[in-house]
Amino acid sequence: MASTITEARALAPAGVSIGSLLRKAARNYVLRRLAVAFIKVLIVVTLTFFLIRLMPTNPVEVYINELITQYGMSADEARNQAAALLAIDLDAPLSQQYFQYMVGLVQGNLGTSFRSKGTPVGAMIAQFLPWTLFSVGISLLISFALGMLLGMWSAYRRESVGDHVITTFSSIFSSIPNYLVGIMLVVLLGVQWKLLPITQMRGSMSPGMTPGFTLEFIKDIFFHAALPISTYVLTTIGSWTLAMKSSTIATLGEDYVTVAKARGLSEGRIITGYVGRNASLPLFTSLAISIGFIVGGSTLIEFIFVYQGVGQLLLNSITSRDYPVMQGIFLIITFTVILANLLAEFLYSRLDPRVRVAGGK
Amino acid sequence: MQPSSPRPSNHIKEEVTLAVANLWVSYQARRGTVKAVRDVSFDLRLGETMAFIGESGCGKTTLGLGLIRLLPKTARIERGSVTYTRNGIATSVLEMDSEALRAFRWKECAMIFQGAQNAFNPVLRIRDQVWDTARAHGETNRERVRARVLELFRLVSLDPDRVMNSYPHELSGGMRQRVLLALGLLLDPQLIILDEPTTALDILTQRSVIEVLRSLRNQLDFSLMMISHDLSLAAELADRVGTMYAGCLVEVADVYDTYYHPYHPYTIGLIRAVPTLTGERRDLISIPGTPPDLIDPPTGCAFHPRCPYASDRCREEQPELETVGTRHQVACWNWQAVLADRGARLIMVAGQE
Repeated sequence: MASTITEARALAPAGVSIGSLLRKAARNYVLRRLAVAFIKVLIVVTLTFFLIRLMPTNPVEVYINELITQYGMSADEARNQAAALLAIDLDAPLSQQYFQYMVGLVQGNLGTSFRSKGTPVGAMIAQFLPWTLFSVGISLLISFALGMLLGMWSAYRRESVGDHVITTFSSIFSSIPNYLVGIMLVVLLGVQWKLLPITQMRGSMSPGMTPGFTLEFIKDIFFHAALPISTYVLTTIGSWTLAMKSSTIATLGEDYVTVAKARGLSEGRIITGYVGRNASLPLFTSLAISIGFIVGGSTLIEFIFVYQGVGQLLLNSITSRDYPVMQGIFLIITFTVILANLLAEFLYSRLDPRVRVAGGK
Repeated sequence: MQPSSPRPSNHIKEEVTLAVANLWVSYQARRGTVKAVRDVSFDLRLGETMAFIGESGCGKTTLGLGLIRLLPKTARIERGSVTYTRNGIATSVLEMDSEALRAFRWKECAMIFQGAQNAFNPVLRIRDQVWDTARAHGETNRERVRARVLELFRLVSLDPDRVMNSYPHELSGGMRQRVLLALGLLLDPQLIILDEPTTALDILTQRSVIEVLRSLRNQLDFSLMMISHDLSLAAELADRVGTMYAGCLVEVADVYDTYYHPYHPYTIGLIRAVPTLTGERRDLISIPGTPPDLIDPPTGCAFHPRCPYASDRCREEQPELETVGTRHQVACWNWQAVLADRGARLIMVAGQE
């Protein structure tokens, strides 16, 4: 970005107008994409802000009612206390609240939680988010890599017994919702067959464990994340496998693969550089988009395995109508999805030279 | 265009590069076995260009693919032998193991495919695909390969440096065809199979590809097997022409004889169906009917349902290629009748003038 501007200055004669600089920026592919992404974030933030406030029952009212019923306060007393505690002007119009929120956001302030009295939302998310990124991220990588291998193997051994087994299991597992697989793992492995110490595996790490790059800590976090990771991998690997299989079959029929064989290239070179590279192109787009759903797609699984990730936090904040936390998490989700789309676009244009030209300079 | 005179054949050596004997190829289809190549035999001498002509679906491409054993999985070489000879050492192509076959392809026999539009890996630059090819055949010196390719690109009138650094989609169809041609010559193969080298190209590009082929043939020593339904292309480049019908070779002759003294009714039909720019205005005559079903080909001569000379014998017995003149073979029971008829027609034409 900076380089374009300096470049523009260097190239332009003295007395260059701001307008021409802007036009130059508008023609820059990367800048254009970034601007579009920014506008998307803005729209989603605005929408969530107002939509959340359209939900039935208001958290402040819930809290006031609690004070009245539990502590026997009068309505006015309870109202004042709530307003003081939550640092919120209850009578301020929605537009003013929105304005304040946006000002805070620009300063990097996501607000404070309504329910966990005064805790900054940013800090809460920072505490829960890494676990989700870790568990879902690892499983995404495992299922993507494994799915590609299985898919290619299936395509090469089409109509073999192995292909039929892989394809059948892929179809079955990609059509079962992930929370059912999660429950199945808990019930079968933990309760019925008692193969796993399911209660010890709860949480994201054992109590008293100090984080650090120690073998002990790494073993421990994998021990706790094992079940969520298995669930994600089991339920997503099927779609990667099927996608890679059909993509590979299509690629195998391409002329350039036949010509590569006629050119006498080794089988290994054809599989990796000619078939694999081209067949995986569409999957990389899906991968980038899946990265966007790392944050949002984990709620039920984290609930089932009592894993302290951001999904768990979202679920809690929804049940307690904790607007700022909900909003903070939605913002993170939006941000990752849009970022991932942006990544997908850049990644694809790096991987496929044909798109690079269409993108322009 | 037609060959103007019997072509001098001093560039043709006596050594036989490729000997194909009694080759049968069939495809397994849902409806049954498609006999795509039936009992094809021919010899290709060093330096010789042989064109295979015939309608679509007569087995030309299958024959070409069969020679480098690059047939789809549903196809099977049933019988026959393919013998390739270089420097006096003969090898049987059909008995090669996969590694020997891999080494044979492109280094000994390069096949340039029809419609080279998608012949290149879209995500690799041309230079990388050139290097891939050279490396696969044991080449280790990048500079030497580069120098050779630049020379070849110049030979096929391409801007060498630009093409080397391009991705396939940045080249036009004609350029891609010429890149593939140049790549085909990279390892000095002794046999080149060209499958419809000019189909899908515009007339000007066709012309330049033909010019390139013609000059290459004069400069380099290789045998060329050209598969085409374009008779004018065959007339310009070929030394000999093999006419294929329903998977069989029905006539093999020097190019001049094919055009001026054809004996097989099908060859005559093919030639009459080509419009000429010069010479007498004659009616274009298409061959009635369609090529036969290769799952259940007609009994006897496969051409008999469309042949004006068909007799009872044609319906029952299949004719074999028999030698009827100098390097001229035809598979027809009634070639003498055809010959007599042509004589009569020539007299008739002369009488009209």
